[in-house]
Amino acid sequence: MSEPVLRTEGLTKRFGGLTAVDNLSISLASRRVHAIIGPNGAGKTTFFNLLSGLLSPDGGRVFFRGQDITGRKPHEISRLGIKRTLQVKSVFPELSVADNLWITRQARNRFLHPFRPAASDLEARSHVARTLEQTGLAGLASRPAGTLSYGDVAMLEIGMAVISEPSLLLLDEPTCGMSPAETGRAVAKIRDLARTIDIVIIEHDMDVVFGIAEDITVLAQGAILASGSPAEIANDERVREAYLGRPEDEDFVEEAAHA
Amino acid sequence: MRDTVLLLAMNGLIWGLIIALIALGLSVIFGLLDIINIAHGDFFMVGTVLAWFSLSATGNFWIGFIAAPVIGFLIGAIIQRLVIQPIHGAAALSIVATFGLSLILQEIVRITFGATPRRMLAPIQGTIPLFGVDYEIYRLFAAGVALAALVGFFLFLQHTKLGTWMRAVRHDRETAVAMGIPARRVYVLTFGAGFALAAFGGAVAAPITTVDFRGGVDVLPFCFMAVIIGGLGNLPGTVAAAVLLAFLEGLIQSVADPTVARISSLVLMSAVLLLRPQGLFKGFTK
Amino acid sequence: MTRRYIEIGVAMGVAAFLIAVPWLIPALTDNFWVSVITEILIWSLFAASVNLLFGYVGLLSFGQALYFGFGMYGVALGIDHLGLSFWPAFGFGIASAMAMALVSGVFAVRLSWHYFAIITVVFSLIFYFLAVSMKPLTGGDDGINFSLPPVFRFGRMVWSLTDPTFQYFFVLAVVSLCFFLMYRVINSPLGKGFLAIRDNDLRASLIGLNVYVLRLIAFVMAGFLAGVSGALFAFFGRYASASYMFYQVSGEGVVWTIVGGAGTMFGPLVGTTLFIVIREIVSSHWEHHSLIVGLLAILAVIFAPKGIVGLWNGWMMRLDERDAAVSPAMTLQADP
Repeated sequence: MSEPVLRTEGLTKRFGGLTAVDNLSISLASRRVHAIIGPNGAGKTTFFNLLSGLLSPDGGRVFFRGQDITGRKPHEISRLGIKRTLQVKSVFPELSVADNLWITRQARNRFLHPFRPAASDLEARSHVARTLEQTGLAGLASRPAGTLSYGDVAMLEIGMAVISEPSLLLLDEPTCGMSPAETGRAVAKIRDLARTIDIVIIEHDMDVVFGIAEDITVLAQGAILASGSPAEIANDERVREAYLGRPEDEDFVEEAAHA
Repeated sequence: MRDTVLLLAMNGLIWGLIIALIALGLSVIFGLLDIINIAHGDFFMVGTVLAWFSLSATGNFWIGFIAAPVIGFLIGAIIQRLVIQPIHGAAALSIVATFGLSLILQEIVRITFGATPRRMLAPIQGTIPLFGVDYEIYRLFAAGVALAALVGFFLFLQHTKLGTWMRAVRHDRETAVAMGIPARRVYVLTFGAGFALAAFGGAVAAPITTVDFRGGVDVLPFCFMAVIIGGLGNLPGTVAAAVLLAFLEGLIQSVADPTVARISSLVLMSAVLLLRPQGLFKGFTK
Repeated sequence: MTRRYIEIGVAMGVAAFLIAVPWLIPALTDNFWVSVITEILIWSLFAASVNLLFGYVGLLSFGQALYFGFGMYGVALGIDHLGLSFWPAFGFGIASAMAMALVSGVFAVRLSWHYFAIITVVFSLIFYFLAVSMKPLTGGDDGINFSLPPVFRFGRMVWSLTDPTFQYFFVLAVVSLCFFLMYRVINSPLGKGFLAIRDNDLRASLIGLNVYVLRLIAFVMAGFLAGVSGALFAFFGRYASASYMFYQVSGEGVVWTIVGGAGTMFGPLVGTTLFIVIREIVSSHWEHHSLIVGLLAILAVIFAPKGIVGLWNGWMMRLDERDAAVSPAMTLQADP
């Protein structure tokens, strides 16, 4: 399978005078976990927004498994199999945890039946039950999602991303705000998912990045600064400079690379 | 025919300046507090009634020019504190609250003032010839006062501490609070100011319109039109839109039914909402 | 468990009451209250249309009176000008309301919620003024009267709405059917889609829901409910007037819904009942009943923002929790 799962050509997005994503041409190979890292304001989330259709590019094209998806609407892109989580955890707060998963599963169908009772969809129910198990949220199934702890919401988001059987998963800082224990759980889950799903992950936590990623791309000011294997990135001078200005902090990247 | 066109156009222009005051009050409330204030037309109506009561109580018309905005400000501040603040200005609840307020204001006026519409005599009688038409002096005077009030309000926003606070909170709430601006107090004062502007407009307009407990119902949609077409948060835009709309409606009325004029303004407003929701006028937007 | 018993008890009590009204009311009080209850049922359907959009999809429409008006005039003009008999006129009223909802929804639903609320008013005002200016056709604010064709004809048996008892049961049947349809929709996959959009429309689009289309569907459904309500109203009073298309009517629908409890099935019914009963009782002694309505609206949003039914649900949930504390075995449903 040499077809890259995701490819962009000259992708550009401007906000007024600011160029958030600058002529970005990137190719992400299939069956590998990619991490996108970079200092704040590097354009990572904007990049994800362009990929998932929340923003339309000012220039360039996006290809998903060879298919041109440039400028498509978010729900169309979602239907193609690309799912993403958001940087600020976002679910359906007044629906129960189970319903959150349930509606995510149902949204795959083009047609939502207006009269049949939702509970009668057995296939959806079994998927929901299974995902609840996998994410460890079974005990919270009937709680409104808005009452969950931050870590549980993040797990729910991942659960929602998974239950729709995506072919490409975009995770935007999935461990942001999590405790170490929760982070560990999330990382294990992501590794598990990576076995069957293509994953691209934006992360700030270097431990997580160097623990999961097989390919890393570093963005700075909307353009690719460097890309390669974790070892290559860890040793890259330009990366250190972009991220950290001071020599003392270099050790951190060193340590993380050899974690 | 030409006389009527001119007359209606001038009436429109003058009415537009007065309405601009009222619409400005709405723009300030809507822009800063995010509240769709259903009672705003009734704020204007209360102003006309306050003018009436000041006149019958003191025999002096001009007292109304002070009483209406001052009392209006107090009522507005109290309402914000008692009603809006407890619900944290929550959007849908505010609409219901202001709807309830509208009913309460109308009924209180109906109880105290009565249900029959009444006319007030203008303090300045007489006409002067203008463009070949005998035009009422008071109308010209009212336009002048409205214009002065508009200018005064903008000066207030630019040059006083409170005005600057209002602009800051409207521009960026979080930063303003972080800089130590008492946002809550600003909200109270803003709502009060919105009421005061509308009430003052009512006092000024009282001799040219009828004093009637239902007088706010017609004014309300017009104010919203001015705010939307002028651009949400764009205060000068609201003023310009109010004047323009009233002027256009005046013109259209010379050739067609007033209802047609109103319908065309509404259609224009729909077009703006759908095609260019930030309003027609560029300027100091949010 | 206690909760379930209470709720079933209340439901059965209310149902029994509603069925017994034409005989119970005259026995207890004035006959006139039968038509008040009929009116309450009709208007609660109107409130339900506001509730569907606001409580379940998160769209606050301040212009449902427009579709009410189309339903109302559809029936009135259908009978008066087109010579339609009962059922075709009914259908015509409902169809016109839905058509209008579709056309205006296509534009309105694209807007974010402040502008959506405003444009719904604007649309309703445009047609209100149109109706007022086309006085020869619509009777403007004064309205038009028409005579009522019979509903059913079996051989020589004729049932018409001029019989208050039949009218009451007809309205009760139609309103119950509409509420039942609403119930089915809300619990269906489509209904869950609505809730998702209400809670978080961004997320909804990311999981693949077409937010625009779903909102439009909800808007047309609400137009259906408002249209049925308007049509029933026309039949009930044999009368149609432009004044019922004014924004104050829409506003009352919003107040009834929110005070009753937005996002609940019976909130609109409770809210409408409360306000109309107050109106009837107070206005016979004091003409300023609107003051009480206004005060109630304000008190409700401050002290009971989830509405009366919302308060009820809160109490019921506390009963549930108390039951769970007393006997954990009774709340096993959470486990798969």
